[in-house]
Amino acid sequence: MEPRMAEELDQDDLPKAAVTRRKRLRISVIWVIPVLAALVAIGIAIQRLRAEGPTITIVMHEANGVEAGKTFIRYKDVRIGLVSAVELSEDYSKVLVKAKIAKHAAGLMVSDAKFWVVEPRISLSGVSGLSTLLSGNYIGFQAGKSSETQSLFFALEEPPIITDQPGRQFVLKAPTLGSIGIGTPIYYRRLTVGQVAGYSLTPDGQSVLLTVFVNAPYDKYVTTETRFWSVSGVEISLNADGLRVRTESVAALLAGGIAFDLPEFARAGATPALANAEFTLYRYRAIAMKEPTLMERRFVLYFNESVRGLSVGAPVTLYGMQVGEVTEVGLTFNQKTVSFRPRVVVTFLPERVVADLPTGERTRAGKSLAELPAEDRMQMLRRVVEDQGLRAQLRTGSYLTGELYVAFEYFPDAPKAKVDWAKDPLELPVVPGALASIEAKLNSVLSKVDQLPLDSISRDLRTALASLNQTLKDASTLVNRVDTQWVPEGTKTLEDLRRAIGDANIAVKNADATLFSRDSATPQDLRDTLQEVTRAARSIRVLMDYLERHPDALIRGKTETK
Amino acid sequence: MKQQGIAGAMQAQGIADARKAEAVSAASVGLVSCEACQLLSRPANVHEPGYCRRCGEKLEFRRPRSIQHTWALVVAAAICYIPANALPVFTTTTLGEEEPDTILSGVAFLYTSGSWPLALIVLVASVMIPLGKLAALAYLLITVQRGSVANNRERTQLYRIVEFIGRWSMLDVFVAAFTVALVQLAPLTSVAPGAGVLFFAAVVVLTMLAAETFDARLIWDAGVRHGAPHG
Repeated sequence: MEPRMAEELDQDDLPKAAVTRRKRLRISVIWVIPVLAALVAIGIAIQRLRAEGPTITIVMHEANGVEAGKTFIRYKDVRIGLVSAVELSEDYSKVLVKAKIAKHAAGLMVSDAKFWVVEPRISLSGVSGLSTLLSGNYIGFQAGKSSETQSLFFALEEPPIITDQPGRQFVLKAPTLGSIGIGTPIYYRRLTVGQVAGYSLTPDGQSVLLTVFVNAPYDKYVTTETRFWSVSGVEISLNADGLRVRTESVAALLAGGIAFDLPEFARAGATPALANAEFTLYRYRAIAMKEPTLMERRFVLYFNESVRGLSVGAPVTLYGMQVGEVTEVGLTFNQKTVSFRPRVVVTFLPERVVADLPTGERTRAGKSLAELPAEDRMQMLRRVVEDQGLRAQLRTGSYLTGELYVAFEYFPDAPKAKVDWAKDPLELPVVPGALASIEAKLNSVLSKVDQLPLDSISRDLRTALASLNQTLKDASTLVNRVDTQWVPEGTKTLEDLRRAIGDANIAVKNADATLFSRDSATPQDLRDTLQEVTRAARSIRVLMDYLERHPDALIRGKTETK
Repeated sequence: MKQQGIAGAMQAQGIADARKAEAVSAASVGLVSCEACQLLSRPANVHEPGYCRRCGEKLEFRRPRSIQHTWALVVAAAICYIPANALPVFTTTTLGEEEPDTILSGVAFLYTSGSWPLALIVLVASVMIPLGKLAALAYLLITVQRGSVANNRERTQLYRIVEFIGRWSMLDVFVAAFTVALVQLAPLTSVAPGAGVLFFAAVVVLTMLAAETFDARLIWDAGVRHGAPHG
């Protein structure tokens, strides 16, 4: 079929083959180069774009060393973003930091994520962010729990201490911040178990709220009854027990700290505290661990002496045991007598009376006191005051500082007191203080001394002295006279006397020689005579003996012995 | 003979006479000049001019597909120019802190740190010259394709400048290579090359090739019709 058709065709109708090849659109191989370049460039661009996560804006108060292109955002020390621009907000009040977040971290940009600038921080409780000294500041990041993505964030002023550690946060209320700062350690039995995460003022500005974080597993030791106290510095107490110094660690000594514990008496009712539970931060351990007062009575005391040295909080004792404290010290004016008197209000804690009992019994005793009807209690007090002579007295606690305290003591001899039992608070009778009574005695002595007729006494004394003087003069004259007149005569007399004595001596010697010389007869005679006398005496004794036995012999004469 | 005529005209009569001389080129009269040794010879065949008798170079009336090739290379260089500037050339690590630098950020750094003459040198050598080369080549290609007859001498001069400068543009790449090799004082400081430097080298090489591929004789062909193939 084809050859037949070819035969039919006019040869002239066919196009003549060209000598040269028809110009075709010839694309040179060299175009591979730009295509390759484009592919590589596009490939890199795509890689870049794919690696690029969202761009976020962080609002800061200050740039704090944040620089575009240099400052990274780090999370767990992994770079998750780079600051791309740092600029001021429209009203120039804030700094807007724009940052490109890596693709892999895009999911972290949720509404409750937190950003802050990490800079070197050197405080007594530690050094942090030292690496930033060399590398410059970076932006720290804390992941949030929300799933809502966000691109505008407000940077924190201070880095949050607590990041992802398990544990619980609590709130402490304190009157002042003291030496506590962010990062101040929390101690439990001297173990560091947490730290202060932040602080703020209460809306009324009257106290400070501290946010503390207690790490797990220690957070379970925080119970509803747990007491927190500040261990800033050293707690030195000088009391009747002696000097007592309490500190936590050396770090706490320097930087302060907060400790907590569960008081023994509250162990029974303690249940684990909820997160964000509020506690009071006490000034020191003694206050924190004090038992709460179950019941208290207030009494008014009017003293008639100076209350200088008596301060609010001074102890009130009974037999030396503290049973309460002074709650008010002031002056009152009595219009009737137009006189001022110190007025002291004391708080009496009855359960302190039974303080030596074991805790359980003490509580019961306190309760039983509290459970008594008010009238019975009043009656009891009345008996104690009126019959047994319970009186208040101001006493000096320390002679060094002059601190006073109020002592209740029994004074059976005290004058009977008039007490208005209907008054509330009750006014209790007082006796002058020990110091005051000494003072009074001293005063009376002095006044007596003052009353002595010292003038007349001295006048008399002067007269007496004058006459004494005269007497002495006379005596002197007399002595002179003795010297001049009597002594020569006396001398003569003495010579006579000596001569007389000499004569007497000679006489005695002669007598001696005469009486006791061997050749004289007198001694022999004398000896015989004495023997004779002795014999006579013996006879008389015999006679007397006989007469005693036989008195009748005087009448009847001596009877013959049978 | 013709060659002498052209040369004599150009040398003796100046620009005004040179314009007259434009009308005549070797190709337009069926001759071919050797690109290597400039020997003017008669082609063996119109389609296959053969080889130079003196130096053995392959003879061509005009480089085949010169414009297309040049375009391709210029386009490739232009494409590479974008990442060359966008990507960092160096990454300087100083005390653990990595700092990537692009060409422009380097210029900005030099300028803000006070050494504006250096900044100017880098700006001229690394930014303006490659860009200028690309623009010049594109301008030459467009004018040739449009058959422009104006400013032929200036365009030729421009081409010569582009060809001359080309070899100096690699300076930047060399500086980068040396810096990277020398500054390796880890951990104090070290410099690592960035992807930008590869693209920058590619720009330089591609523009050099483009300048080489471009047949400057085409500038003078406009208005002179001849049978030789070109384009």
